[in-house]
Amino acid sequence: MARAFAPKGINFLFLYTREAHPGENYPAHRSFEQKLAHARAFKAEFKTERPILVDDLVGTAHKLYGSLPNMTYLVSRGGRVLFRADWTDPPTIEHAINYVLNSRARRREGLRLAPFYAEFVGYRWNDPAKFQEGLARAGQQSIDDFARAIERRSKQGPRPGRIELPE
Amino acid sequence: MTNLAEIEDYNYAVFVGSEQYMAFRSLLPVGSSAPDFQAQMLETGSPVRLSEYWKKGDVLIEFGSLT
Repeated sequence: MARAFAPKGINFLFLYTREAHPGENYPAHRSFEQKLAHARAFKAEFKTERPILVDDLVGTAHKLYGSLPNMTYLVSRGGRVLFRADWTDPPTIEHAINYVLNSRARRREGLRLAPFYAEFVGYRWNDPAKFQEGLARAGQQSIDDFARAIERRSKQGPRPGRIELPE
Repeated sequence: MTNLAEIEDYNYAVFVGSEQYMAFRSLLPVGSSAPDFQAQMLETGSPVRLSEYWKKGDVLIEFGSLT
């Protein structure tokens, strides 16, 4: 996707944050060198071609944008937030970028378009098996901690800010 | 000055699922100015600012980690 949109002026970046699910293999960062090593392992594992920016050890950049583990922002040339999502989902990102590019193209054609505030509910692909694979990469602790968190959540009811809709 | 407590607080050693999804909604609504920050580029080891990218064009930025 990054390659497809590059000629259209979209720069794709990855900001490396804290470990969301620390485990024996990739524990919580205690030094910047360790964070860099994990970021290198991430690059090797996912073969991402995007530039990887590594945040500082106390998450200064991550906190500015909301501290969630898997967020995406689309920022315009000039620095305005055009789209953001509390989860990263490639088809949703593609949809958002195409919307922005199409709106600009319509403007260039002379259409008078006024910006306005809009929201929509996103639908992300949720693959529990793949997610468990990710936890296993981090180690048994990561698997166990997640299972405990899920068990606690099941007793607490819906989480504020998470969207649940009937099928 | 960065201290160990701040490092340990941000980089939790145990996942408990305390992400603040509701707070995210009001933080940087669309249309607002994106905060600038400096980070280290993994590939070069050099410091870069996010604004260097948004001066060139649009920026799609994903936040995440290996785990």
